[in-house]
Amino acid sequence: MLTLLPQLLISGISTGMLYALIALSMTVVYRATTVVNFGHGDMVAAGAYAVFVFGLGFGLPFLVALALAIVLLFAVGFATQRLLLQPIVGGPHLSLAMMALAIGYTLRGVLRLEWGNETINPQRPYLQDAYMFGNVVITTDDVVICGIVLLLLVVLFLLFQATPLGKVIQATFQSQRGAALVGINVPLFHAFMWGGGTALGAIGGVMLSMIAPLTPDLGQWTLVQGFAAMTLGGFGSLGGAVVGGILLGIIQKLLGFYLNTVFIEITGYLVPIVVLLLRPQGLFGRRAAVRV
Amino acid sequence: MPDAFLTVRGIEAGYGGRQILSGVDLDVVAGEAVALLGANGSGKSTLLNTLSGFVRSRRGSIRLGGEELAGLSPHRIFRHGIVQVSQARDLFPEMSVEENLRLGAWTRGGDATRLLQSVYASFPRLAERRTQTVQLMSGGEQQMVAIGRALMSQPRLLLLDEPSGGLAPAFVSEIASIVTSLKRRHVTMVMVEQNLRLALAVADRIVVLRDGVVVQQQSAGGDEEQIVRQIYL
Repeated sequence: MLTLLPQLLISGISTGMLYALIALSMTVVYRATTVVNFGHGDMVAAGAYAVFVFGLGFGLPFLVALALAIVLLFAVGFATQRLLLQPIVGGPHLSLAMMALAIGYTLRGVLRLEWGNETINPQRPYLQDAYMFGNVVITTDDVVICGIVLLLLVVLFLLFQATPLGKVIQATFQSQRGAALVGINVPLFHAFMWGGGTALGAIGGVMLSMIAPLTPDLGQWTLVQGFAAMTLGGFGSLGGAVVGGILLGIIQKLLGFYLNTVFIEITGYLVPIVVLLLRPQGLFGRRAAVRV
Repeated sequence: MPDAFLTVRGIEAGYGGRQILSGVDLDVVAGEAVALLGANGSGKSTLLNTLSGFVRSRRGSIRLGGEELAGLSPHRIFRHGIVQVSQARDLFPEMSVEENLRLGAWTRGGDATRLLQSVYASFPRLAERRTQTVQLMSGGEQQMVAIGRALMSQPRLLLLDEPSGGLAPAFVSEIASIVTSLKRRHVTMVMVEQNLRLALAVADRIVVLRDGVVVQQQSAGGDEEQIVRQIYL
């Protein structure tokens, strides 16, 4: 049984990297606006569909389709914040969370209008292959997912830590009133973070559609995994989102293999329950009440 | 009296359905330090927040150097040079002193390094602690960072909301000397201050608010007892 452990870890890390990216994109929106975007999963799914439509529908090369999808989903996130959330931003947090949820369901409805319950398996833009390292198989999917997510993490790390813009983003994360006091246009910042978070999530959605069937309900499953990863890593912690995502992927594979395959489905629900009971602040979060 | 740099006329403002300011008129001359006094709920902080745009005025006019600012959002007002040090300080807690200060110059521009040197010259204690995270500093030191950050924005009008609020007596006198030194540098200031002694010591003029209107204005050298009566009776 234990001989399969390295394989399970590799698969868990690969899947977990995707969760990490999705959790990170949710965290960016949460840190910027303190709103849990319950519609984020559907925006991630919309990103995957956008690449599918631009690629197969319009016959564009994959990278062009991906670039267009990123721009489109940035615009969707930006417009969502400016047009739908900003007008009610002074209201209760629950209203904002409900609005986000409603936007997500609307997006899902739009996807259903076109695709119903149809399952799509988008073609990979690369040849699927596998490499043997002893007893461990590493697939091209593993390499591509881990490579792209790592690259994005490095870019984001450099942006946040080594650029003046990153300092402004961090500052606004830490104190919105403080940011306004130094002349930062905080509502516009919120919109950019919604756009950025949505675009980042869309990249995750595209990669997810390479390894899982694409359906309009993909968003619901994605939201649960992202939420679980955020909770595990510590709500609002960027590093925590990454570590939480990777751990979630590993836990999912281990429980699914050693206990029962049903755990692959329900780990995303179990993890928040266990974490919220035993360590509500997660691995890297701070003890605080989270209003939604 | 010379021409006013800041002219406030008939400002009405409040929160939700509650009106706090009911037609405030105020003139501030360039280089002048004005202290707003009044009992709790008289509208002092609301007036500061209305000047900086955090509370949207419902009626009236706010002109700075002749430009109308009433109704503008905080970041636009900031660009005109009205910079506020809030009561809560609202620093960036996980950042260092220097990072906080530098962010003060982010939007208004200017030579951040030169401004930083000038702030460090005024606050040597901040220079010593430039790499320290501000959340680990005392309230008085944080207040210095907040004032320093505001100075990095090269304010045309500096708004100070309770600069001595919640500070130990040793820091209160330090804040008093900081405000006095700002006055010597001809920084135009409007401050809200509960500490009457401090307000009278550092301000050129005091303005007393009651129930959202100005009820008295006089030079700071006036009768302290009379001022107290105006505020509380």
